[in-house]
Amino acid sequence: MKPLPTRNSTLPLHRAGFASVPAMLDYAAKGETGVTFYNAKGEQLSALPWREVRDRAQVVARKLIGAGFARGERILITADTWPGFFDSFFGAQYAGLLPVPVSIPVGIGGKDAYLDQLRRQFAASGAVAAVGLDDLAGYLADAAREFPAIRLHGGMDALHALPEKPVDLRPLGADELCYIQFSSGSTRHPHGVQITQRALMANLAGMVGPAGLDVVEGDRAISWLPLYHDMGLIGFLMGPLASQLSIDYLTPRDFARRPMQWLNLISRNRSTISYSPSFGYDLAVRRGAAQVPPDLDLRCWRHAGIGGDMVRADVLERFAATFAPFGFDSTAFIPSYGMAEVCLAITFCPHDTGVRTDAVDRTALAEAQRAVPAADPNDQSRARRFVICGRVLPGHRLEVRGPDGAVLADRAVGRIFVSGPSIMPGYYGEPEASREVLVDGWLDTGDLGYTLDGEIVVTGRAKDLIIVNGRNVWPQDIEWAVEAKRVVKNGDAAAFSIDTGEGERVVVAVLARVSGEQGRSDLARDVAGAVREAIAVDCDVVLVPPTLGLPTTSSGKLSRARTKANYLAGLYAPKPEAA
Amino acid sequence: MIVETDGMTDTLERARVSGQSRGEVIREICRHLVPFQTGERPITGDTVIAKDLTIDSLAIMDMVMELEDHFDISIPMNVVAEIHTVDQLADTIQKLCARR
Repeated sequence: MKPLPTRNSTLPLHRAGFASVPAMLDYAAKGETGVTFYNAKGEQLSALPWREVRDRAQVVARKLIGAGFARGERILITADTWPGFFDSFFGAQYAGLLPVPVSIPVGIGGKDAYLDQLRRQFAASGAVAAVGLDDLAGYLADAAREFPAIRLHGGMDALHALPEKPVDLRPLGADELCYIQFSSGSTRHPHGVQITQRALMANLAGMVGPAGLDVVEGDRAISWLPLYHDMGLIGFLMGPLASQLSIDYLTPRDFARRPMQWLNLISRNRSTISYSPSFGYDLAVRRGAAQVPPDLDLRCWRHAGIGGDMVRADVLERFAATFAPFGFDSTAFIPSYGMAEVCLAITFCPHDTGVRTDAVDRTALAEAQRAVPAADPNDQSRARRFVICGRVLPGHRLEVRGPDGAVLADRAVGRIFVSGPSIMPGYYGEPEASREVLVDGWLDTGDLGYTLDGEIVVTGRAKDLIIVNGRNVWPQDIEWAVEAKRVVKNGDAAAFSIDTGEGERVVVAVLARVSGEQGRSDLARDVAGAVREAIAVDCDVVLVPPTLGLPTTSSGKLSRARTKANYLAGLYAPKPEAA
Repeated sequence: MIVETDGMTDTLERARVSGQSRGEVIREICRHLVPFQTGERPITGDTVIAKDLTIDSLAIMDMVMELEDHFDISIPMNVVAEIHTVDQLADTIQKLCARR
């Protein structure tokens, strides 16, 4: 089997500008490019040219319409990376139904938590159908039991068993919704972002256009990002589709197992565009560096995007140093910023500049919320380095506002607001939650940052901010301080504050991968020491058994709010030792 | 005529069917789990992997992957999600080996 071609033989490359997802797929189906699925060994499992994606989807659509599903009804889909997702997602698009992509269960013993999550998603989306991997048919049936509105559930067989009726397709149009995206930070009370066709088309135009990735003839995409996440689904399914690219897929699970396959496939298929959160680059270095094939050639990779979490310069520098001998060009890095509430993308860095950082004075940042250039950028105890994340997409606006709502000048830290055609109309069925974040056409991103010559520098989440003695402390700073000292691994620490009545007290929860009383007390001492040394605050250290783990959001980001809630609920007993 | 002894027949029969003796499967699982043992408590068939040991989800995923490679099987994700103990993991592996 050969991978699908990178170029279409005659079909002209059309960068976005379509009316809807069905219109994009109709156009791409005229060429030979498409999607190819790979396994953890890098072997090709199957390939679907966009034409076949469309043909299969239209069959599914006629079955769904024939089965009596009404326009606008929701169909939940377990969004693993496999052809069934394409059949059901695009089938729904041609049938006028709204897909609701959801995650798949991970790990040992995760069944009950997964069923709970499915039930919450059924309730939040009001789904009337649920399809997924054959392996998950039983879970869907279990979770659907309490929801009489669900008229169809099961593996892809359940969908394919429906008779195909000679009905007219009723594709979703430009004025309609496209799908419902469960956003990050929504594990317990999932908020379904309404992705409209119009907002999606606007965001895609920005993404593939000159201010974004500037897609050109000869580009080829590759992704291991989960399709239940906006960066996976919009960035690396809709994006390639909007510009008729071929895309190669690894499942997230296979990437985690064999991160080198990501790079191997880039090398082999001469891929030019791929994205990852910082942790993916980290994983590739930590687990892949020992098994790099000598003929790995990454010179083709022109856009190595970073998004989905705080962009971490140190991680990217390590990646670049590790893979430079194999042709990786560090100027290919494109830090970017976005979120599901704007479909996906808000800002992109300019091309060919790589990762640019701004080193600011920690004291001024904490005490005056000002990003003053550090006297000595290399003095880590006094300088804090942030990655500059680029300009807002054309047709959109970005403002950093102070507590009184006034727009702040460059280098003043405040809340980031955005407006423009990519903004969501609101969360599905949740007017109140929508009103909290949408004000006068502006979206309150909930993130903090500052502007710098028209570019944004994101400093953290507003709601996680810790204030100790009038001083702003970013929880990431505390966590990174602990991780930088190699006291614990990346992602094994969560910092938050609790109100003691007299002020805020910093608490650092760390996974205790040690045994014995001595090991535990040593760890607690080292964590407190690292925090005191780097941030100059005292903290309580709470040791969390790795078996319990630190809670994460649906997109896998550390959830400090839930860590704090668990802590206050006494879940991490015995009581923390004072540091 | 089959003489019932100490369960040996059963063990041999399982080994014949699966090509993998229970002992070998358990040994392989324990090889991965021993580094995460807490205190002096031995790892037994009843050990609840994600609870009685200090193993985190990434390490569990690694272990499952390596066991899959070692025995040349693939454990479906819904089956993985229902495994709690060492015995259940061993049963799953043996069953899949038998089907191979």
